[in-house]
Amino acid sequence: MARKPKPTVERYGGGYRINLQFEERDLIARLMGEMRSLLLGSTDDDRVRRLFPTAYHQEGDRAMDDEYQRLMREDLVTSRLKGLDLVEGCLGTVGAASAQLSDAQMLAFVQALNGVRLVLGTVLDVDEDHDLDDITDDHPLVGEYHLYAFLSWVLDWCMQALQAQAGQGRSGQALA
Amino acid sequence: MASAPSPTVVDRPDVDATVKPDIPWIVLVWNDPINLMSYVTFVFQKLFGYSLDKATELMLDVHEKGRAVVSNGTREKAELDVFRLHEHGLWATMQRDDT
Repeated sequence: MARKPKPTVERYGGGYRINLQFEERDLIARLMGEMRSLLLGSTDDDRVRRLFPTAYHQEGDRAMDDEYQRLMREDLVTSRLKGLDLVEGCLGTVGAASAQLSDAQMLAFVQALNGVRLVLGTVLDVDEDHDLDDITDDHPLVGEYHLYAFLSWVLDWCMQALQAQAGQGRSGQALA
Repeated sequence: MASAPSPTVVDRPDVDATVKPDIPWIVLVWNDPINLMSYVTFVFQKLFGYSLDKATELMLDVHEKGRAVVSNGTREKAELDVFRLHEHGLWATMQRDDT
């Protein structure tokens, strides 16, 4: 009888375990390094625009939005960099079968992972009709589309693990 | 003997200059094609302490109606909520509650 495969992300001990190959974890770690460079780069870079959305969307509130962006953008960058700091190095070493994350690292990991998806999704101009099956093997960005799908898959596994934990007594409480 | 206090002239309040009560603000989250439904639900639970049912209902409103009101309060509170949602990568904005 076949053994049930391990979930990709699971509650383990006092934290979480990510059961991905080292190469896959290393890929995610490198993407997070690239995210750090983007955050520290030009404020005009269109790839990061989804990380700094408009706060006041009504026409008459434009001055308040300018003020929000002026005051909060740096705080948003700092917050994201702190999250990346927390995750850095926790994705494991060569030879390790999995990566183990504390609760705090897991929360930072999902935020950072989602941030990478926002950037990649912006580059790929992902829309509501996005379907990986529509991307043919000869598409010039086929690799990026598969990467986006992979990150989405990992993030969804993280959500399942976090929700399973919330279901064991923390549902309805703020996790922050 | 202490002298009686002299009367003090008090200016009438200038009605036109009366500060208006803080108009409540609402925080909206808008649909976007990148954030996963499971992630949006999780963020609503994490930031606002909503139950899974409530967070799922709001997430479905975002997904199906294009947006949902997820919190309200003073401008300062709304701005903080928007900031926290932005930290998590959600497309959140705020406006005066004129309903």
